Amino acid sequence: MSGRLLAGWLAALAFLVCSGVQVAFSTEAVRGQHRTLQALQGRLDAAVAVYSRLQLELATVAAYQQVEQTAEQELGMRFPEDVTRVAR
Amino acid sequence: MAWRHFTLVAFFLLAGVGLVARVVYLNVTERQFLIDQGERRSIKSQEIPAHRGVIYDRFGEPLAVSTPVMAVYANLREGELDQDDRRALCVTLELDCQRLSRRLAQHRDSRFLYLARGVAVDVAEELAALKLPGIGFLKEYRRFYPAGESTAHVVGLTDIDDQGIEGIELSFDAQLQGEAGRKVVLKDRSGQVIKELDYADPARFGADLTLSLDLRLQFLAYRELKSAVQSHRAKAGSLVMLDVATGEILALVNQPAFNPNEPVASLEGLRNRAATDIYEPGSTMKPFTILAALKSGRYERHTMIDTSPFYIGRKRVHDPAERGEISLETALKKSSQTAIARVALDLGERAVFDVLSEAGVGEYLGTGLHGEVVGKLTDDGLERPIAHTTLAYGYGLAITPLQLADAYMMLANGGIRRPVSVLRQAEAPAGYRVFDEHFVHQVVQMMEGVTARGGTAPGAHIEGFRVAGKTGTIRKVVAGAYDDGQHAAWFAGMAPATAPRIVTVVLIDEPQGEDFSGGKVAAPVFGRVMARTMHLLGVPPDAQPEQALAGVGY
Repeated sequence: MSGRLLAGWLAALAFLVCSGVQVAFSTEAVRGQHRTLQALQGRLDAAVAVYSRLQLELATVAAYQQVEQTAEQELGMRFPEDVTRVAR
Repeated sequence: MAWRHFTLVAFFLLAGVGLVARVVYLNVTERQFLIDQGERRSIKSQEIPAHRGVIYDRFGEPLAVSTPVMAVYANLREGELDQDDRRALCVTLELDCQRLSRRLAQHRDSRFLYLARGVAVDVAEELAALKLPGIGFLKEYRRFYPAGESTAHVVGLTDIDDQGIEGIELSFDAQLQGEAGRKVVLKDRSGQVIKELDYADPARFGADLTLSLDLRLQFLAYRELKSAVQSHRAKAGSLVMLDVATGEILALVNQPAFNPNEPVASLEGLRNRAATDIYEPGSTMKPFTILAALKSGRYERHTMIDTSPFYIGRKRVHDPAERGEISLETALKKSSQTAIARVALDLGERAVFDVLSEAGVGEYLGTGLHGEVVGKLTDDGLERPIAHTTLAYGYGLAITPLQLADAYMMLANGGIRRPVSVLRQAEAPAGYRVFDEHFVHQVVQMMEGVTARGGTAPGAHIEGFRVAGKTGTIRKVVAGAYDDGQHAAWFAGMAPATAPRIVTVVLIDEPQGEDFSGGKVAAPVFGRVMARTMHLLGVPPDAQPEQALAGVGY
């Protein structure tokens, strides 16, 4: 009777220890995943920041008035205000 | 085996005694330390701001973009900023040092005081590296509008919390905003996040929105309208350009305007007048009277009408010049008040009103533009001859420039009405016919005379294109009476007239100086904008060289 009781106690103890070790491993895994998530979140934020900045820069550089100004002042181009008809 | 049993019991007893001793130790000896540490930390749920959707023009040019920035705040209970700290803050954030010191003194017990918002991320990182006491950071987004003033009235703007407060930003706020997420964080007593524990709910980005605007045309319209308003020293102006095939708004601008990237200086410039302000349309309604005449079957294009002055009650109806008998077509070309009034009297009290109603004049369009209003068109008192006569030349009703553009789009579509949209349409929405195509085409052909030599608006002529349109010059109502000194000048038209692609309406409110008529003030703006629009859209010319300005032969 006492032998079986002892075996029971030891089994419970072993289960307790295993469970504790497993909790420690799980916690560490969660921390690891959380660190990864945080890093990814940071990268996403940075990417969004860069993307929006590039969008703004592109919009500024490629703005219609900018293109028109460059065409007229730097390239000497003119808007075809007068229709030129070519007779064939 | 009894010793084993005894040993095990003793082990557990000792373990229990050890635990009790530890509890007593922590409660007695370490009590104050633990309370202090507990107060320093707390688990809180914190919002993760969502990235607001981008607004694009029809070709994917960004019109409103959110970019991550930081808000800098101070917890003044946490630590005191000495002179050097304050100087570092002022230099880094480009703040006025004296003003900052005053604010810090005023709020010396505050746990949360914004020092600066919309701070660039690299500047915030530079400041964070200084590790100033009580200085914290919050992530937020700031909205930028690359097209500035030129799209301000359509796109609108957001407030400092990234909530839409004007224009599309307000009308489509729920769609653009997205959903903020939540994360569980461990904070210290000063409210600083020590550790992020869990992402309870990730943030969902707002949906992007593609408008129907063409940024090239929008800028063109903005530049020409601004120039016209300045040169005529006008109070205000509006220009609306619609795509005839789809009902999309390609350009919509107003003057005065505002720069959405800067704090709004005056409320006057905020109003999207093209959708919110109603005016009497004046002679721009005459094509609809002509349509009513043709529809009645009693008139044709060449039906002659007497233009000698006459009286309706005590009101004398007359033209600036005596023209004798003129055709219906010439009546439109010369914008004859007497001819149109005689036609209206002859047609009876409801004829013109019914045509205007069927054309949707003054109807609420429901485009989603913020503040859009319904026009005024009523049949009250229509039995009086003066009421239905004045209606025929555009008095006694009031509409917005956008509603006038919608009505002209119906003419351009050969009598088919289509919904007006500020969002890009994947395909043209189905329309419905309201007038016989035959009559509408005749009206449009007659309207070509207006921009030809001898018409009221040669300034609206476009080289190489046939243009159909109509001028309007109205006296404004001041203190309940028409004021001969205050006018509004209209021009509404379409091109190319043989197969209209674009309808444009120009309104110049209270132009000063000698020239105040629609033909002199609004039509040239139409001409300049439409000339470039035709080229930019690659519309093939439809006028033969000899037709240019020589009038159109049918």
